[in-house]
Amino acid sequence: MTAFVIRRLLWTIPLILVVMLVTFALMRGIGGSPFRLEFGGVPYALQLRFERYYGLDDPWFVEFWNYVRHVSTFDFGPSLTNRYVTVDQVIKERFPVSLALSGLAAAWAVPLGVGLGLVAALARNTRVDRVATVIATIILVVPVFLFSDLAATHLVNKWHLVPPGWESWKARIVPPLPLGLAPAGYIARLMRAAVVETLEQDYVRTARAKGLYSDRIVWRHVVPNSLVPFLSAAVPTLALLVTGAFFVESAFGIPGAAQYYLTATLNRDYPMVMGLTVALAVLVIFANLIADFVAVLLDRRLVEKQVA
Amino acid sequence: MRAAWGRYRGNRSAVWAAVGLGALILFCLAAPPLSPYDPYAVDFSQKLETPTPRHLLGTDLFGRDLLERMALGGRTTMFIALMATGIILVLGLLYGAVSGLAGRKVDDLMMRIVDGLFAIPRLPWVLIVLVLIGANGSIFTVILALSLFSWMTTARLVRSQILALKQNDFVRAARALGARRHHIFLRHLVPNTFGVLLVAVLLELPGIILGEAFVSVLGLGINAPAATWGNIAQDGLSRNNPYFLILPSAAIALLAVAVNFIADGLQDAFDPRREGASQAAGWSPLTGFVRTSGRVGPRSEAV
Repeated sequence: MTAFVIRRLLWTIPLILVVMLVTFALMRGIGGSPFRLEFGGVPYALQLRFERYYGLDDPWFVEFWNYVRHVSTFDFGPSLTNRYVTVDQVIKERFPVSLALSGLAAAWAVPLGVGLGLVAALARNTRVDRVATVIATIILVVPVFLFSDLAATHLVNKWHLVPPGWESWKARIVPPLPLGLAPAGYIARLMRAAVVETLEQDYVRTARAKGLYSDRIVWRHVVPNSLVPFLSAAVPTLALLVTGAFFVESAFGIPGAAQYYLTATLNRDYPMVMGLTVALAVLVIFANLIADFVAVLLDRRLVEKQVA
Repeated sequence: MRAAWGRYRGNRSAVWAAVGLGALILFCLAAPPLSPYDPYAVDFSQKLETPTPRHLLGTDLFGRDLLERMALGGRTTMFIALMATGIILVLGLLYGAVSGLAGRKVDDLMMRIVDGLFAIPRLPWVLIVLVLIGANGSIFTVILALSLFSWMTTARLVRSQILALKQNDFVRAARALGARRHHIFLRHLVPNTFGVLLVAVLLELPGIILGEAFVSVLGLGINAPAATWGNIAQDGLSRNNPYFLILPSAAIALLAVAVNFIADGLQDAFDPRREGASQAAGWSPLTGFVRTSGRVGPRSEAV
């Protein structure tokens, strides 16, 4: 078990390096220099001195090595478009906001999705199942920008159910809801499939034959045993959250990382884009890791599969 | 093959999905030539009309017939989706095949790279590529951005298929008979990955369709006069008109659901053992395969 954890932890290092290398290659591939004349730059002699000063005249692997070295000490460099801001500051200020938004979205999505999936599975092949499945499918496939816009214009701006912005606790109730809908639909469909499969297992039949109450069967046998496939497959919901954050943050005016990411992209603020991308990758990789560890804790057999 | 067709026909939702997809394609192809309106002619005297027999879906901000623009948008969206999945297939097939055929070490390295690429969801990758090639609003820029970092799932599928095939008797027999590597590859391995590829295409399509819409809504898509579902949605978002938002969203959702059910039906049809059981083992609706068997590793997928 310990060996498994250590191995997986060590694996994250090359993964992060791959992400850094690819983003670095893309950014360098754009070419050009921030000091060129056509961009309102400085005279040629100064250009060369600047490039020397910032290490931009080094070969690519030296430049990459410098970047890796700095990032490993949490120094992501300055912003190119805002001279009073460093990438580190943006990560420190913006990521917690987006994380809180995603966390609250998960707080909506998990009960909603698990409930919907469980209801569908327990009533499988009935009308209830069909209605629940249709609802799950609709909230999964309808683009997030529709839900976030409708929620922002109606719940917040027209009906004033909650205050706008992101300052008070009340204001943080509604924005995560549209963000959590697609994950909820996804979770519901996974949960339904997992529970249906568990219900067909022999031990469930045995429990039923022993005369256990069906409530007890569901909560003691079916739900815990459905959690493993559910957990390991629920990770893609993370991607749904990241994608959704772009739209939800802009619809509700939340000062999160996704909105800043978009701005940085449009402004071609390369160090900013790279820094935010690497930070996002680290988050995703560690979230994957945690999901794996929890899955292994729930089902130790997975370790052997891993080693084999 | 015939048995597979029979199984597919027995799957009611898959059949309806195929009918729905066919209707949508027919609408997109047939509506523009049949429509009396010019999809690009601006006429402010007719702007924002509600649906009438003259304009079945009403008109947009510039007085253009929405029905026709929806059909044109569908064409653009489907064209983008087809081109992008084509590129994804080629990249995925090449990468997966090389990885599957190369030795253990190269294979490991290549798969770690894929794991790394998976650490970033699709949308941020698309944005980065758009910056790289300059978001000039042309259709090919968008296609490239949507496909350049979306081939990983396909590559994984192809690789695992090839790894499995390599152990098969007919491949070993061919090798024993002295067949060359590229011969084995082209004649025995590639044709046998087509089933997997078909599913991979269908799994990628909804993500690409949604991706186009996302990029357009963020203002980085195809330039304005062109009609795409994403552009229509962006109109609705920027002018705060929910109608323009609901219409393309519904079309996108319809297309995504149809493709999803078709993929599901095809998989069941080709592999009857799969039914139900392996759904729990990680069939992920709309976003692709999630392998839960085998190694536990970073997986991700994204719309």
